[in-house]
Amino acid sequence: MPFVNFATKEINCKIVYYGPGLSGKTTNIKWIYDHIKPENKGEMITLATETERTLFFDFVPIEVSNVKGFKVRFHLYTTPGQIIYQASRKLILKGVDGIVFVADSQEERHDANLDTLDDMIENLRDYDIDVSNIPLVFQYNKRDLPNVLSVDVLRRDLNRWSRPDFEAIATKGIGVLETFKEITRQVLKTLKRNT
Amino acid sequence: MLSLKPEEDRELRELLTKLAKDSKAKIIFFVDKAGQLISRSESPAFSSDDVTFASLTAGNVAASEALSKLLGESNLSHMFTETENEGIYMIVINGKYILVVIFDKRVSNLGIVRLKVKKYYAKILGIMERVERRIKEETMVSEAIDVDDIDLDSLFESGDS
Ligand SMILES: Nc1nc2c(ncn2[C@@H]2O[C@H](COP(=O)(O)OP(=O)(O)O)[C@@H](O)[C@H]2O)c(=O)[nH]1
Ligand SMILES: [Mg+2]
Repeated sequence: MPFVNFATKEINCKIVYYGPGLSGKTTNIKWIYDHIKPENKGEMITLATETERTLFFDFVPIEVSNVKGFKVRFHLYTTPGQIIYQASRKLILKGVDGIVFVADSQEERHDANLDTLDDMIENLRDYDIDVSNIPLVFQYNKRDLPNVLSVDVLRRDLNRWSRPDFEAIATKGIGVLETFKEITRQVLKTLKRNT
Repeated sequence: MLSLKPEEDRELRELLTKLAKDSKAKIIFFVDKAGQLISRSESPAFSSDDVTFASLTAGNVAASEALSKLLGESNLSHMFTETENEGIYMIVINGKYILVVIFDKRVSNLGIVRLKVKKYYAKILGIMERVERRIKEETMVSEAIDVDDIDLDSLFESGDS
């Protein structure tokens, strides 16, 4: 649920990067964080284990002003992918305004993609959110690896709602910005619909 | 969608500022459970990243709530964290919002803070209930937000990607 303050002219929106463990969610928002102008970003928070796997969430606040004087804040979150963190994943979805599903294109990770998508749909349902109704973008990541599934297969199995989708190599920043822009565009559109 | 009108924003901020004075707190944040900062007391001496603080507070409360559910407790109502010099008191308001009080332990203490929060609780809740009612009744908010004007490209350093 976005929050609009008409006094300070601020709008807050929450975007969650969801997907199986090691699909590249943290890499996505780290890349965004590293390439955003200092004046447009706050502090990046990473709650990770010693081996750098996301434990609870990563968080990046981004601020953008428009000409009418409104400041829009996007709060980017990633979820921990490992199965055992199901509870944490659900907590992070609370109040979500838009979701980027980061899939791992590697064939051997496809079951994990499918399981995580089911888990996402179920968690959203618990918050009374219908997956076909929320801003959603798919990203097929790790396209640089040799054993990847074709985009057609990924699209057919994951993107059942025909949402915008992108191929990516997050480690090189390829597809990262396109994905981010598309989800923000969708989120801002719903904002307009609601107001 | 949650929104605050200028007069509601002022009312809330004034109330939080008064509570901060009364309880001798350094600063008070008012956050929603999704981690968004809704308001804060006017405490110019306090500098920290408000937005990050709000996000971590909500994560902290969410994790503690999940823990207390595991233990069979129905719902978490408040929690306390401390560093060497500071106390952080968090209380859930109406199941939706979180009030965070940060105080210097040499200046105030948990007892005073809880007492003062109790005193202001109903007033804060009253404002938010009024806000929620107003939002429900409103059919149209305002055309003031022109999201088409937002230029995402300007966010990024030039020369990249
Ligand atoms: N080859 C390749 N590796 C990637 C890509 N994106 C991420 N990785 C690597 O995959 C691992 C897991 O990435 P991370 O972002 O931590 O995954 P998360 O669990 O989804 O947050 C890291 O070692 C990344 O460097 C990619 O596009 N190609
Ligand atoms: Mg991660």
